[in-house]
Amino acid sequence: MLLQILIQGTLLSGLYALIAVGFTLIFSVGRVLNLAYGAYLMLGGYVFFFISQQLGAPAVVGVLCAAVLGCAAGLLKYRLIARPLGDNPVAVEISTLILAVVVQSGIVLIYGDSSKILLPIVPGVIRVAGTSVTYNLVVATLASWAILIALYLFVQRTHIGRAMRAVSMDRKGAAISGVDPDVINMITWGISGLLGAVAGVFFASYTQLSPSMWVGPLIISVAVVIVGGIGSIIGTLIVAHIVGFMEVIVIAVIAPELRGVFTMGLIIGVLILRPRGLFGREEL
Amino acid sequence: MKRVTSLLAATSALALIAGAASADITVGFIGSTSSDTGLSTLRGAQIAIDEINAAGGVLGQQVTLVTADTQEDPTEGVKAYEYLAETAEVDFIISGSIDDVSLGWLPRMQEFQIPTLDTWTSYIGIIDMVVEDPELMAPYFMNVASDEALATLYINFGADVLKGQFGYDSVVILAEDTAFGGAITGLVTEALAPVAGIEVKDIIVYDINTNDFAPIFSKAQNSGADFIYQISSVNAQVISSQYVKLQVPMMMTGVNVAALGMEYWGDTGGAGGGISTLSPVPAVGFALDDRSQAFVDTYQARYDSRPFYPHFNGFNAYYGLQQAMAAAEQAGGFDDVAAWSAAMVNQDLVLEKDGKMWLNYGFWDQGEVEPVTGRTYPHNVKFDLEAPFDDAQPSMVVIQWQEDGAVGVVYPPEYANMEITLPSWVE
Amino acid sequence: MGLRWYHFALWGGFILFMYLLPEFVSRGTLRTIIFANFLAVFAISWDVISGRTGYVSFGHPFLIGIGAYTTAILTKRFGVPVELSIPLAVLATMAGGLIVLIPALRIRGSYFALVTLAFMELMYQLVQVIRPDLTGGTRGMSGIQTLTRGAENGFYMSFTLLAVLSVGTWLLMRTQFGTALSAISMDEDSVAGSGLNTVKLKTAAFLVSAFVAGVGGAFYVHYLGSLAPRALFDINFVFTIIVAALIGGASTIVGPIIGAFFLTFLLEYLRPWLPGAERYFIYGGVALLLYMYQPKGFYAIIMAGWSRLRARMARRKPGARA
Repeated sequence: MLLQILIQGTLLSGLYALIAVGFTLIFSVGRVLNLAYGAYLMLGGYVFFFISQQLGAPAVVGVLCAAVLGCAAGLLKYRLIARPLGDNPVAVEISTLILAVVVQSGIVLIYGDSSKILLPIVPGVIRVAGTSVTYNLVVATLASWAILIALYLFVQRTHIGRAMRAVSMDRKGAAISGVDPDVINMITWGISGLLGAVAGVFFASYTQLSPSMWVGPLIISVAVVIVGGIGSIIGTLIVAHIVGFMEVIVIAVIAPELRGVFTMGLIIGVLILRPRGLFGREEL
Repeated sequence: MKRVTSLLAATSALALIAGAASADITVGFIGSTSSDTGLSTLRGAQIAIDEINAAGGVLGQQVTLVTADTQEDPTEGVKAYEYLAETAEVDFIISGSIDDVSLGWLPRMQEFQIPTLDTWTSYIGIIDMVVEDPELMAPYFMNVASDEALATLYINFGADVLKGQFGYDSVVILAEDTAFGGAITGLVTEALAPVAGIEVKDIIVYDINTNDFAPIFSKAQNSGADFIYQISSVNAQVISSQYVKLQVPMMMTGVNVAALGMEYWGDTGGAGGGISTLSPVPAVGFALDDRSQAFVDTYQARYDSRPFYPHFNGFNAYYGLQQAMAAAEQAGGFDDVAAWSAAMVNQDLVLEKDGKMWLNYGFWDQGEVEPVTGRTYPHNVKFDLEAPFDDAQPSMVVIQWQEDGAVGVVYPPEYANMEITLPSWVE
Repeated sequence: MGLRWYHFALWGGFILFMYLLPEFVSRGTLRTIIFANFLAVFAISWDVISGRTGYVSFGHPFLIGIGAYTTAILTKRFGVPVELSIPLAVLATMAGGLIVLIPALRIRGSYFALVTLAFMELMYQLVQVIRPDLTGGTRGMSGIQTLTRGAENGFYMSFTLLAVLSVGTWLLMRTQFGTALSAISMDEDSVAGSGLNTVKLKTAAFLVSAFVAGVGGAFYVHYLGSLAPRALFDINFVFTIIVAALIGGASTIVGPIIGAFFLTFLLEYLRPWLPGAERYFIYGGVALLLYMYQPKGFYAIIMAGWSRLRARMARRKPGARA
């Protein structure tokens, strides 16, 4: 039983980390809540469905297309919404909320409201310690870790990455020292979109594709951001594991129907008891 | 002056047209135009209306159809019903709404007293309302077997097949955390277990937004039961596709609402084979009588977008609408609700196949007791819960999707056209 | 309070016009207006917290839902008369308002927005899990007692509600209390520094907002005759309320009313032309474009036009130079 929980928790948490990190990035560097973040996941999932399942292209092509489209969506969103409303974070948040609803309506127009199951990117299943584990989820978790490590290295080692950290710490200070916040924001939104779309492909291949699927991952990302505080990438990873393991433990040991209640309870509890989150306000 | 004259002329022309239009019989559709469910009912109704108009209409008038979209949202459902009642002023409403949307507009139906036929909603609580207040609920009819009747016949499947054929003694119930899940769980524990002699080892209730069923399936396996009875009406494809992807080594049967339409295979990318579920009739994979087949042929010739094959409620709409119009002919229209209701209750449509009764669209009346459950189901479609199903059609059949995409009826034997099999990964 | 004659004239004229409306307008339109009235009430309630104090709430249906569920459960399950259940529902909602207040005392800005969203999601989960025999679980409840029958009576009831609540809130906001709230949204620390007790102010604002939400929610459920968690605790409902308030004009009373009417009619009048999902796409798209064009809403557009008109009229006065 314990081994089952460990395996299932690790796999789920990896996926949750990938989902949350794009959201954390915008919140940390751009200081704004992108409530349409879930829409990136949705777009990524549907693009993958279209390219790989409807057109029949190989899975890798589908993921790449999703990534490119996600990045483009992020950039567009920045140019058309976030930048014009730049000094009014509330306006950006509300605009992104409206945008999410519009995207949902658009998906319903094209695909109807039925849900779809994606073909696994890697088919097959393996039985470990009395529990079944799909290769698909293992690949998703490994890919998540790889992406997160790559992102971490990018942020720590590269010039642009350091600029992003600078902006997340102190926007004005960064501007004074020659960093152009506008360019950095644009890059951040682009990366966030890319991450969201790829996360969406994995998430959808794990659960399902539907026009309302943007809400769940948004709540997960919100949970991670709140519980962790304005996160570092490491923080996001750790907190994703807390959230993921909590879910698995609630399902396995307590009562599966209380899964949602516990997640919400965790968010509210942290906000009331330690509003800064477990890691406080960290820079990227 | 000229402008006034032409304005007057235009207004009177419009008034004439409006006057002529209000002499038509108007039918309102309430449901979601973006869902397979809603579209099945809408298209079934449309085909029925076209056939009726071609045959001369109702009471000498042509029938027109007005659509009120609900997007499966309960508040929009109320607005849609009000629109049909007060703006479009329809005579009859055919509904492809789902349970909570129907519950949402039900108070309006009670207020406006417009004859209404529900083709998908199967909540027994609404039939309870008909029992309690026959006058207020006179205009309401439901021509899908109510969920209690659906689950009751399933008990025979448990006794005959699960226990009788497979030798299963115990079950673990995997129910979604909804009112529907709770109701069916109650029926399984109270009836399936004692009648079929199957022990309920565990009841696992899961949140409808569960992403990961691996821990839940692990729990199910750990219970030591012989098979899984799953109850899933929301996000039902997630549990069935994960069942297949995880290759859970237990048979899974029960109620899976996503598997009731032909798109299930395409939507799941093939990750849906191996499960069996109960289904209202006529299910997918159901052998059709000639008239129903003709309906399907017309449907497929006419519509080239999904759903490519009508769901069961499409058939319900097709036949139900014809019955509603026939009732109106007998009652002299829709205005006298009591008369129309009395005529509708007496509608009895028998569809034969190979010389015997195959499908039967009729309605229970107040006070008619169903022998197996011992209760009444006024204004619900007639069903028979005991073989040989010669009083009415069975309330449900059990269908199975197989790993190659084939789907067929596996129970009851009178309607079966396929053998039930275990998925290849279950020994 | 600075009340002028034209305030009375405008409010009075508006109320008189609306009471005469059923004479001229079809029942179908009245039904739409009823929904607009309720949406306006909810938008005003949201605006008191989020528009005025700047604590943007993304979970306002949490409060509305408490009011709705309380009166529904009391009347349907326990047979409590409506005269008692509605006031109890309002009290329960105000208690809910205090619950939302607690995090507001410790966190601000985007975090507050997130916690309100979490509260709403939590209510959605709880209502299905805790005592579904009382709450109706996922299916919700039907057959709840309705207070009025027919479009006209529903209209009079909902509009009276709107008139009373909006005028009352409007008067309240014209007091020093209202000014202080607006100041909080601009710079809370300065307000605290100037000696005002921001905790008391925020508490009062949340209670007022909860009061309006509770009254609105209770009457709403007695108008619909049914409720469902999927309809109430839904992010689309959040979206509708927020957009109504913002497109009309935040931090005003008239703004949410304008916004609510505009949005409700936009969606309903598109119905004959675009019966399906296209309506919502256009509706959302229009909302987004309007908001981006003028985040301060119609009210600001109207006021800008009004002051331009006044400026022109002033120039036309005799004695003024051309």
